[in-house]
Amino acid sequence: MAEQNRPALAAGIRHFAFHDGGAPVLGGVDVAFAPGTLTAILGTSGSGKSTLGRLLAGWLPPGVSGSLAGYLELAGTRLEFSGSGADPRIDPAQWGRHVGFVPQDPAAVLSTVKATVAEELVFGLENAGADRAAMQAAVEHMSGLLGLRELLERDPSRLSGGQLRRLAIGCAIITRPHVLVMDEPFASLDAAGAAELAALVRNLVQEGTAVVILSQAAEQPLLDADTWIVLADGTVRASGTPAELKAAGKVPDALCRGASQAAPGAGVSRVRVGAVPALELRDVSFGYQPEASRPGSGPFRRRQQSPASRDGRPDVLQNVNLAVHPGQIVALTGPNGAGKSTLLRHLNGLLRPGSGSVLVGGADISGVPVGVTAASVGVLFQHPRDQLFERTVQREVAFGLDRIFPRDEVGERAQAALAAVNLAAAAGEHPAELSASRQRLLALATVLARRPSVLALDEPTVALDGAGLQLLDSAVRSAAEEGAAVVLVTHDLVYARTAAHRILALEGGRLTER
Amino acid sequence: MRVHPLTGLAVAGSTAVITTAAASLPLSLAVVAAALGVSGVTGTLRRLLPAAAAVLVPLAMSLLMVHGLAFPEGSTVLAAWGPARITSEGLAFAAERASLLSAVVLVLLAWSFTVSIPDLVAVLSSRGVRGRLGFVAASTLTLLPAIADRAVRIRQAQESRGLVVRRGLLHKVAAFRLQAVPLVLSLVDDAGTRAAALEARGFSSTGPRTNYRVVPDPAGQRLLRAVLVLAAAAAVAARLWPAGTGG
Repeated sequence: MAEQNRPALAAGIRHFAFHDGGAPVLGGVDVAFAPGTLTAILGTSGSGKSTLGRLLAGWLPPGVSGSLAGYLELAGTRLEFSGSGADPRIDPAQWGRHVGFVPQDPAAVLSTVKATVAEELVFGLENAGADRAAMQAAVEHMSGLLGLRELLERDPSRLSGGQLRRLAIGCAIITRPHVLVMDEPFASLDAAGAAELAALVRNLVQEGTAVVILSQAAEQPLLDADTWIVLADGTVRASGTPAELKAAGKVPDALCRGASQAAPGAGVSRVRVGAVPALELRDVSFGYQPEASRPGSGPFRRRQQSPASRDGRPDVLQNVNLAVHPGQIVALTGPNGAGKSTLLRHLNGLLRPGSGSVLVGGADISGVPVGVTAASVGVLFQHPRDQLFERTVQREVAFGLDRIFPRDEVGERAQAALAAVNLAAAAGEHPAELSASRQRLLALATVLARRPSVLALDEPTVALDGAGLQLLDSAVRSAAEEGAAVVLVTHDLVYARTAAHRILALEGGRLTER
Repeated sequence: MRVHPLTGLAVAGSTAVITTAAASLPLSLAVVAAALGVSGVTGTLRRLLPAAAAVLVPLAMSLLMVHGLAFPEGSTVLAAWGPARITSEGLAFAAERASLLSAVVLVLLAWSFTVSIPDLVAVLSSRGVRGRLGFVAASTLTLLPAIADRAVRIRQAQESRGLVVRRGLLHKVAAFRLQAVPLVLSLVDDAGTRAAALEARGFSSTGPRTNYRVVPDPAGQRLLRAVLVLAAAAAVAARLWPAGTGG
């Protein structure tokens, strides 16, 4: 019985600080995760929850990455740390056998030397010396659980964001760890994927796994959790069952997303139909080249043939027609891997259609360099790390502004864009050191600062906490009010319904009205 | 036919050794042509040429400077500036060495660009090479494509914010100047995260390791490898034998 009650993983953190000499990022954190339980650690952007998750998962070994005063307890063994050189050292491999981790950026788990999804899945089993039959059985089981069966022979580096997240989850649980820590696992999953993941979590809990989910929002699947732990400013502010915390009013509003109950399209700007569409797609078809066996040979190769591809797979986009008028907000949904991001990359010319044409402000952009189209079309990429490249937040927003505005206005416009997403105070910081939520807002600011006539946003709500979502929402609405046409790809239907005039679904290469 | 990574290595390695031992201009040129042909057929030529140029252009230039301008045995003087004189024998010698060097570099690069990295990692691992070492070997080969891939992403981000990259090498070089610093910083950042992920997935564990990927190694390819190794050894012996007997 005592065995049953002993936590699978526990931590008592008096304080934890990185070696960069900054203030402690965690302190006053006492958490314990019993076998067969689901715990949600809820915190807004910058609350320290990703740091806590990485510490619990052995991805931030104390002494190596930062200084910990406190203890970590795994499978009944307690390690005490004082922040001195005499502290015990964690073996990440041994730790990883007990604790699986799915980071916020699922691409981070890829080994980069595996050619297929199946091989990437079993990487951990190979390292543990599992025999081939066991690995084959595990691949079969795991791919069925995570909806990866059709993707087993695909190159992992060419998966969509949602597919990659499923793979990362598979990589974490295929070795059957006793504890599973997942950072924002529901982000970028389609509705089916989110439901499957929720079911998977329930199964894992029933089988005795201690599941810990870090989230910026008290999302639907987390309502079933045994415990909610509310984290703010690096410290535990409240913990208890969801019902207890809600009754006591201890769940901050910022953690409750989708609070806006507005009717579809309510409050959104007036569409200026009749004028030339700000953006138009005419019979656009597109398909990727058949995959090469070699990884790392570039994700954006394209093929001109249409409509059926040479390797038998249908085109990602098939005769897509779309017109978006000034002031109009169009939300684009669809299952993971449907080609939504591919479509978005056509809007500024990063990808060119195999057939058909893309018109911006009535002019065909074929043959126009991306950098020129960029003056009219602002694209927010799905991953902020693909968008941010400068040394400071200020430089990041100012990049390229001098090409469209007079030089003496650049600083002012950059500041205004940062202020619009509440990042004015962070102007001197390095973009990589911002939290995921703030990175996304910064990426948004880089797009907004350019005042484009077309805004193309790929999963803009992912990784945003409640406050971030409000900033995004008001930025998108005010851009539309000023006459921008907005296309946003999202799985967040709640947000899409409140913000968009039209909701379209991309499935099987075709757009349909929802 | 799927070529076993070690067969590919044996072909490339033995060709390099035999070409070096033979030191014959026609053979070197034939090997250069064959390496370019294989690279063209496998669709790796566009990546092979810049890498080969980066290695070979400075080396060929230095050979030309050293042997073309100062070749004591040269008697047919084509031009002379003081002590420096260009002789046709010096130019011929420089050309022969440059072609030999090109043959060796191209054949090895062609192998490195065409070998299946996952096959290579699996083979190295199954032959008892420690996982970490195999990964380092594989990473060395995947590094260039990975850097190129990341550079493309950064360029796309910059283009999306107004950077216009016009056609032509000079414009591309000028644009790359803007990508160099973010490229290095993002690779360093990436390496840190990747290391944590690899460690946590048991990559450094010292116990036995298995392979999911099966790389077929037909008897014919094993025999070919043995023949190639013997041929390379014979070529070296043939080269040394006359030298050893004062021939």
